[in-house]
Amino acid sequence: MSALIKLEKVGKTYFRGKEPIEVLKDLDLEMPEGAFEALMGPSGSGKSTLLNLIAGLDSVTSGTISVSGVNLGAMSEGQRAHWRSQNVGFIFQTYNLLPVLTAAENVELPLLLAPLSSAERKTRSLTALRAVGLEERGHHRPDQLSGGQQQRVAIARAIVTDPKIIVADEPTGDLDRVSANQILELLVKMNKELKKTIVMVTHDPAAAERASIVRHLDKGQLT
Amino acid sequence: MIPISYNVRSLAVRKTTTFATGFGIALVVFVLAASQMLALGVQKTLGKAGDPSHAFVMRKGADAELSSAIETPKVGLILAGPGVKKDASGKAEGVGEIVVVLALNRADAPDQISNVQLRGIPDDGLGFRDNLHIIAGRPAKPGADEVIIGKRLRGVFKGLDLGQKFEIKKNRQAEVVGVFEAGGASYESEVLADVETVRTSFGREGIVSSVTVKLEGPEKFDAFKAAMNSDKQLGLNAMRETEYYEKQSEGTAKLITFLGGAIVFFFSIGAIIGATITMYAAVSHRRKEVGTLRALGFSRLTILSSFLLESTILAFLGGAVGALCSLAMGLVHFSMMNMASWSEITFSFDPSPQIIARGLVIGALMGVVGGFLPAFRASRISPVEAMRD
Repeated sequence: MSALIKLEKVGKTYFRGKEPIEVLKDLDLEMPEGAFEALMGPSGSGKSTLLNLIAGLDSVTSGTISVSGVNLGAMSEGQRAHWRSQNVGFIFQTYNLLPVLTAAENVELPLLLAPLSSAERKTRSLTALRAVGLEERGHHRPDQLSGGQQQRVAIARAIVTDPKIIVADEPTGDLDRVSANQILELLVKMNKELKKTIVMVTHDPAAAERASIVRHLDKGQLT
Repeated sequence: MIPISYNVRSLAVRKTTTFATGFGIALVVFVLAASQMLALGVQKTLGKAGDPSHAFVMRKGADAELSSAIETPKVGLILAGPGVKKDASGKAEGVGEIVVVLALNRADAPDQISNVQLRGIPDDGLGFRDNLHIIAGRPAKPGADEVIIGKRLRGVFKGLDLGQKFEIKKNRQAEVVGVFEAGGASYESEVLADVETVRTSFGREGIVSSVTVKLEGPEKFDAFKAAMNSDKQLGLNAMRETEYYEKQSEGTAKLITFLGGAIVFFFSIGAIIGATITMYAAVSHRRKEVGTLRALGFSRLTILSSFLLESTILAFLGGAVGALCSLAMGLVHFSMMNMASWSEITFSFDPSPQIIARGLVIGALMGVVGGFLPAFRASRISPVEAMRD
């Protein structure tokens, strides 16, 4: 498989006041298209930072990061936002659904950035909800759903724009074992059936087992 | 574009702060609209007293009837002026009237004295004004100590109601024999008596305060004015009756607008600060939501617009409530001193679509101003930072 995501000598440094904190150091990495990758490592190892860079949420301090041959470092913040809306689906540990919107409206949100009619958006949202088994709960607000259901809505939101990449930051971190397994099964399904490239940060070895590739980070470097 | 339902529902979730901010803005719009309605009411009340085909003559240099005095022989000369309409019998249509101020005790607070305008009119004075009609009792008899009162005075002052008596001067009683209406004009706050009764009571023999004439048409005014004003010996100043009453209302309307404006200015600062605090709290509370929206690809400008829209919706709704409440002021009559005549006139609040629209726009503008900085802060939230919260 060809590399969808390519990192060359990537470094990322944050500043705490005037003190520099080097989170990632000269990282070289290639992630093939269609892979299900798990990033593991202790807290502060740079997993989430790496995920943010791959997702185009943050910019590198040094080196280059490209996705499908597109150099993210050369983009402005606005361009990266536009790129994210077309290429990346997000799954967060705490689901991050907008509490005042219904499940269907939450799923529809990313489609508002695409040139689609209202009817098309509704159809796609329903399809995405059906894919996660929640088509009957579309009119429910997040607080009327269980944690597992909320995360499934978040997965529907992540796939609704048909992005190349899904980034998941501890997607099972807030869930019980049963719900976590359901979510992981869904991710595997998205990877296998919809051919989505998934990059998942996790502390959970059981979650990492579902991935096709597991990488370990420590002190900003792959081990 | 972030759906408006997101903003509306977010406002509904924060009921207390939304209500408090909306209330502040409603108050500003209410005061603004009410003061403008009152200013318009003043202009209309005084404006209705004027007729565009009437010419109004006072002594040169006088700015109100109270300070004007025209010798009686000049009345004939004025009535003989060019363009003055004549009735079927060939008599020029015009009236010389005398205006004085009565100090009377208020009915609701008997120890308080307020001024009322007393107008002395000639025998045919009642028929001169087309919009003046007796609605209770009868006209006053010429030469008798009888008066008729405008309906807005009824019961406001001690002795000013049908069948009651009051002292027109020390030890001289006048009886109220009729009540009239005048289509909402300022006359409705006046007492009308026979011109001779007023003259003898106030020692104004041989003079009138003003002369009003009916012209053959509004276009005849220029010639009439030229004739009156060019004769230096007459020492007269003619103007359209409408112009005179516009000037009469100018000072009072300006004062109300100024006072209303000053109150609105200070209130609106408070309301804008309230909106700013509310929106800052909203942004702070929803950092993670903003971070999520940014992660999904919504631009900074979209986030800014969304929060700005939210504060504008809040302010607009507050403004709409304020504007709606101000409409109820249309039922209220408000008695105050007219700066030009130094007598009390009852005005009403006069709502107009323009005033309501202005109130709504200003309400919404307060939302834009108050919401801008919080919206700007929201647009600067980094999705990475927000996710760490």
